Amino acid sequence: MNAAVRARGLVKSFGRTRALDGLDLTVKTGEVHGFLGPNGAGKTTTIRILLGQMRADGGEVALLGGDPWQDATDLHRRLAYVPGDVNLWPSLTGGEVIDLLGRARGGLDPKRRAELLERFELDPRKKCRTYSKGNRQKVALVAAFASDVELLILDEPTSGLDPLMEATFNECVLREKRDGRTVLLSSHILSEVETLCDRVSIVRAGRTVESGSLADLRHLTRTSVTAELIGSAPGLAALPGVHDLSVDGARLRCQVDGDALTAVLAELARAGVRTLTTRPPTLEELFLRHYEGAAR
Amino acid sequence: MTGTLTGTGTLIRLILRRDRVLLPVWIAITALLPASIASATTGLYPTQAARDSFAAASAANPAQLAMRGPIYDASVGGLTAWTLGSSLALIGGLVSILLVIRHTRAEEETGRRELLASGVIGRHAPLAAALTVVLAANLLHGLLSVPALVAGGLPAGSSLLFGLSTSAGGWAFAAVAAVTGQLTASSGTARGIAIAVGGLLFALRSLADTGGVGWLAWLTPFGWVRLTRPYAGDQWWVLGLIAVFAAALVAAAFALSTRRDVAGGLIPSRPGPAEGTLPGAFGLAARLHCGTLAGFAIGFGALGALLGVAARGLHTQLDTPQFRELAATLGGADARLSDVFFTFVMYVLSQLVAGAALVSALRARAEEAAGRAELLLSTPVGRLRWALSHLVFAVMSPVLLLTVLGAVAGLTFNGDVARVAGATLAYLPAVWTVAGIATLLVGLLPRLAAAVSWTALGLFLVVDLLAEFKLATGIILDLSPFVHVPAMLLGGAASPAAPLLGLTVVAVTLTAAGLAFLRRRDLMPSA
Ligand SMILES: Nc1ncnc2c1ncn2[C@@H]1O[C@H](COP(=O)(O)OP(=O)(O)OP(=O)(O)O)[C@@H](O)[C@H]1O
Ligand SMILES: [Mg+2]
Repeated sequence: MNAAVRARGLVKSFGRTRALDGLDLTVKTGEVHGFLGPNGAGKTTTIRILLGQMRADGGEVALLGGDPWQDATDLHRRLAYVPGDVNLWPSLTGGEVIDLLGRARGGLDPKRRAELLERFELDPRKKCRTYSKGNRQKVALVAAFASDVELLILDEPTSGLDPLMEATFNECVLREKRDGRTVLLSSHILSEVETLCDRVSIVRAGRTVESGSLADLRHLTRTSVTAELIGSAPGLAALPGVHDLSVDGARLRCQVDGDALTAVLAELARAGVRTLTTRPPTLEELFLRHYEGAAR
Repeated sequence: MTGTLTGTGTLIRLILRRDRVLLPVWIAITALLPASIASATTGLYPTQAARDSFAAASAANPAQLAMRGPIYDASVGGLTAWTLGSSLALIGGLVSILLVIRHTRAEEETGRRELLASGVIGRHAPLAAALTVVLAANLLHGLLSVPALVAGGLPAGSSLLFGLSTSAGGWAFAAVAAVTGQLTASSGTARGIAIAVGGLLFALRSLADTGGVGWLAWLTPFGWVRLTRPYAGDQWWVLGLIAVFAAALVAAAFALSTRRDVAGGLIPSRPGPAEGTLPGAFGLAARLHCGTLAGFAIGFGALGALLGVAARGLHTQLDTPQFRELAATLGGADARLSDVFFTFVMYVLSQLVAGAALVSALRARAEEAAGRAELLLSTPVGRLRWALSHLVFAVMSPVLLLTVLGAVAGLTFNGDVARVAGATLAYLPAVWTVAGIATLLVGLLPRLAAAVSWTALGLFLVVDLLAEFKLATGIILDLSPFVHVPAMLLGGAASPAAPLLGLTVVAVTLTAAGLAFLRRRDLMPSA
């Protein structure tokens, strides 16, 4: 059992909305796992099921080897959570909330707490009602990073942080990873995912559409090909795996699926090539391909 | 001012949409009550002689004086205006406070205001929109009540004045809430201050009418509503007094709002401790409940003192044959006047205590809706433990408040603390039943829990009113838990065990069912 999270075929409906429609997610112990997908894809719903706050209508789910609904209290000793929308008690100070959450999780390291407060430039003496969104997020982050837990579940934790604080956040996550902790990170920020994540899962409309390391995913997706030909390559359009083909005299552009590349190059070689550029997809292209048309 | 009101129309539509159920229901009920009470009065007291004797008995009843004031004219119209004047001012005032705070300060507190405030919404627009809707709704139910009154044979001019006077309480307290909403950053505190001001002004009117200091009634909106004297000399100009009061407060609210930041208050927030000592879910719940509870305790203590003092003067002031007769029918020939008085008043006040218990019982749901429970429940704090941490206060706050109310009343009356406190504490199972209804709803229908619980309490109050006019009997009356509480001071003490035990069993069952449902359902943040 070396998976911190193992979910198979999760289904969850809210009235007529099918928020999760057979979602799979595996987070290996010790990895930082990126959880990506367009708005409304079902990331937060999945996380709520993992936390035992909602019960799935179908599918199987195991968290740290237990049942997130049945064993919620015991499992929660071993994890810390930062919600996407941090709501705090308006009349408590940030410091009080950090200690409340830390104490509930079985105590936190005071040295680490002080260090984190300083690095995130957070004044713990202010009442929560006066904090900005970013500062509320920092309160939850400090409480999570200062706790001694195996698993961190972070739902878009940097959506309110400025770039400087994002860098601080990245350092903190990398440190957690060095210490052998597991992190599930839901995010829309590509640079963050690229810097931090070992593997990612991309969900769309309640289903997992891709899962693997970033290198794997790039491999699986299309390469952009631009060529200037000597002859003509009439067979190209008919090849499976060739997309968005445009021919302008001798110049030719197209997108090619990873496994169709050999056939395409053979076809081009037959026509004779004057210049040839191939470019792997950027991370943006990778995501946009999955995000496009996701509006439901 | 141009620009600061931009977007008011949009916000008005938003408010109408959010309250599309609540507003029509409230308007319909309050618009229908006057004509139904008028027709009930005609039915029950068809002759002038019957009405005269009813009026004489009521005028001799100190509890009626404290709740409703004196009767100016024993006609059908006069009695209707007397019956409803103060009830409708209380209901309209309370609903208006809740609505104004809900659409102004509560919006800022949750940050939804920020979302709207980016340019298209002027800084005065939210307050202007909330006030427009609430003032118009009050006006509407007042006007709508008129045709049915006139159709029932009451004079048109006086009916219009009466209709408008039922709107006036709402106007006055919408304006009070507009001001308190500017003072603090917390919607709970703003709501609390407004309700406390309302309670004080009501107590002032009560004192004016029971304590022989009639001029005090001129200092409070509850007095003004009565002093419009519909069907009894129609003093139209008193409406102007209420309008001036409301206009002055509204102007003050707009002036205050220009002097503070969005989401800030005029009373600045002080820094607090950098480290926390809250020992967990129960410690947190204690912090969240104690401020409100202390406020309630002070309020009920003050009410108790007022009652005790008022009861002292009864023997000399109100020892009339009519009141003797009333007392005799209720508690036997040798019932003490003060006991009849306390019995009447405690019946009504226990429902206020139930309101306080509802606040505590609905706190867990409020935490859940605001998304704060989500964070706490991601720690090893379990569902049940979290729910119990709030439930403890729903159970214990009525114990505290009923004790304070009874003990202070007994102490200021004749030092007979145990006897009066015993009588108020008899309402404990009924109040727990109301809290139990709320707990059940939080488990079963979380999104509707607050609205339905408050409506249920409101209906229990209406049942009282109907029962008094014999419009409700038997099964309908039995629906209100308060009806089943034995009158301990009037011979009910002989066999109080059965009804009290029965209510306690109902309360425990409702609560246990609510907790069981809560453990099984999904967490549902944001209403
Ligand atoms: N309590 C709820 N009631 C009804 N529908 C819900 C509820 N919670 C989520 N949904 C719906 O389920 C779908 C998935 O929502 P979810 O919050 O999981 O998306 P997400 O991936 O976290 O999106 P985002 O990136 O915007 O945070 C959406 O269509 C949403 O409207
Ligand atoms: Mg989300």
